[in-house]
Amino acid sequence: MSLSELCGMSDFDDKINSEYRGDLNTFCGNFTNNLELGVPPFSNPAKNFASVSKDEFGREIKIQFDHGTTTLGFMYQGGVVLAVDSRATGGQFIGSQTMKKIVEINDFLLGTLAGGAADCVYWDRVLAKQCRMYELRNRERISVAAASKLMSNMVYNYKGMGLSMGMMLAGWDKRGPQLYYIDSEGTRTPGKVFSVGSGSIYAFGVLDSGYKWDLTDEEAYDLGRRSIYHATHRDAYSGGIVRVYHMKNTGWVHIDNTDCMELHYKYQDEKLQKSNEIATK
Amino acid sequence: MSILGYNGGAMVAMKGDKCVSIAADKRFGIQAQTITCDFKKVFDMGPRLYVGLPGLATDVQTVMEKLRFRKNLYELKENRTMTPEVFGAMLSSMLYEKRFGPFFVEPVIAGLHPTTHEPFICNMDLIGCINQPDDFVVGGTASAQLYGMCEALWEPNLGPEDLFETTAQALINAFDRDAISGWGATVYIIEKDKVTVRDIKTRMD
Amino acid sequence: MTSILCPEIPKPGFSFDNCQRNATLESKGFAVPKATKTGTTIVGIIYKDGVILGADTRATEDTTVADKNCEKIHFLAPNMYCCGAGTAADTEMTTQMISSKLELHRLFTNRVVRVCTANQMLKQYLFGYQGYIGAALILGGVDSTGPHLYSIYPHGSTDKLPYTTMGSGSLAAMAIFESRWKPDLTEEEGIQLIRDAIAAGIFNDLGSGSNVDVCVIRKGSVDYKRTYDEANKKGVRQASYRYPRGTTKVLDTKVFTVEETVHQLETESMDTA
Repeated sequence: MSLSELCGMSDFDDKINSEYRGDLNTFCGNFTNNLELGVPPFSNPAKNFASVSKDEFGREIKIQFDHGTTTLGFMYQGGVVLAVDSRATGGQFIGSQTMKKIVEINDFLLGTLAGGAADCVYWDRVLAKQCRMYELRNRERISVAAASKLMSNMVYNYKGMGLSMGMMLAGWDKRGPQLYYIDSEGTRTPGKVFSVGSGSIYAFGVLDSGYKWDLTDEEAYDLGRRSIYHATHRDAYSGGIVRVYHMKNTGWVHIDNTDCMELHYKYQDEKLQKSNEIATK
Repeated sequence: MSILGYNGGAMVAMKGDKCVSIAADKRFGIQAQTITCDFKKVFDMGPRLYVGLPGLATDVQTVMEKLRFRKNLYELKENRTMTPEVFGAMLSSMLYEKRFGPFFVEPVIAGLHPTTHEPFICNMDLIGCINQPDDFVVGGTASAQLYGMCEALWEPNLGPEDLFETTAQALINAFDRDAISGWGATVYIIEKDKVTVRDIKTRMD
Repeated sequence: MTSILCPEIPKPGFSFDNCQRNATLESKGFAVPKATKTGTTIVGIIYKDGVILGADTRATEDTTVADKNCEKIHFLAPNMYCCGAGTAADTEMTTQMISSKLELHRLFTNRVVRVCTANQMLKQYLFGYQGYIGAALILGGVDSTGPHLYSIYPHGSTDKLPYTTMGSGSLAAMAIFESRWKPDLTEEEGIQLIRDAIAAGIFNDLGSGSNVDVCVIRKGSVDYKRTYDEANKKGVRQASYRYPRGTTKVLDTKVFTVEETVHQLETESMDTA
């Protein structure tokens, strides 16, 4: 029972001129089937899209969609920790400092966003729908392996057409805690430690040096926070607030949000205190 | 991205009542990567004369040294201190000499006249076109944001204390919306008898 | 002066030192920043007793208004002024340079320099640079042979006309002239016509804006009316957004006191040997 039927608009379709229906199908295809994006109206869009990215004077047409991120996730004895920054930039301009880069797909599944913001948000929403459909059809939650494969298969259909996303999928299913990395190139791989985005090189530096399997929960949160903080400090396109999530066997828990400015001056004070202590000894 | 955005940076100068201010961020980065947070972009060219050079870092330092050389030579030859107006004209013609192969800096000048103590501010484009308004001037990658902040915050006849607050807040709030500038800032308040240099607390991401 | 101690004395003319480096940067995909343009509506007419020049006061950097009240009517000589459109630095520097040349010419010949001389100097200079110096000028002045008005294009071609317009707002301004200019206008009519032409540019061209500057040149006198008319009065801000003192957290303060130094120079007797 859709809304149009409830409103008695069942004959609405007939009233629409058939040529409009063609347009509707072409341009609003993803209303009925959200796996189907409208592609540019010429052959081989993956290759030929470049030809319309310049104007009549040969100047590059600015398509600066939101970009740049640091996200990380790692598994340890207590489950999976995800930590992300919150900056969204369009070129050099900071569009938002409070973006939510962790998507709560369901109680046992979290996704992180990196790359084109619109791509990530759209496809995560489609994935959330698919996962719910699976639950309703099979009377059990989807496994993280299956969910990640759904995602990777969906975006693979548009490989080379300009989608830009690198995401992590963290969950807890029958087989325990899980962490997958998926990107728009078609990569899908399980693993213990990942970091994705423009600031990932900096995050990895801290993460790798402090990571071990036996971390306590508090240590794990702090490691995630520190890694993201150091990435935001060095990387121009990461910043804002650090969000930390923990995936447990009871589902995900949102640990906290901390402003990077607060973190910077806190860590600076701690460092100063430590060096003072060493000096007094 | 433009060459001015290779290293990033933001700068502003404002006129006040018997005082002027000039402020700049402290980031030195190469595109997305922040290298240091204590890069000097504002240079003293006399007791009450400061020049800020936002732009390509290599040219910032080259232009500064050329300027200092020429200014010193002038003062030795003429046996008098250079006025801000003359300094501006000197910098302008130095940049225009390189009209067809410019230095990538958009200078901002702030100072008081050495004898009359008349406030002076000006900025120029990379080939030395002087712009000399009577409120404020901006430069660098956050200049669009700075124009907005300054138009809203600036008012005439601000004293040194209020001028500091206005300049600092204009700069901070502007570069908080620019990915490649920030990471600390310095504000110079230039008065007849003293210059106050303040490092201010900012976001470090 | 040029010696090993002083290798920095600049050679006259343009320096092309950075060109190769800049070309390399450009080829790596870094765009060259845009220089300030004047956008501009500039106009000039001949009236009964001389010449009237007019200009708007907006300077733009790409889409930003870089200067809301810049001066586009440049001084050339006491009997000659010149409006500039195009690359702001080019119009400024070109007129300054020609102005100094005209003064030297005046001192050399001991005569009031003719407008046609300035025109010739400008066109030869611009032609030499083949349009790379982006200066479009309207030259107006009065000399012993009467009032003259020239328009000079960046490539070095010139027109001698009774009324002319230039810059991005030239079409709007010309529309006013074509409908209302006639020979032997009075000064009052002339100024009004100039104002209306510039206002047409200000209101109908995005590259022009702010105020109207007018310069009246008669035989033996000049009347430079800076900000003759404010076409767009800016509204007065009602509230103050001033931050209370102490908003900004200061990490470190340094104060440098500036001492007033008075150099007592011993008087030296003139060397008359």
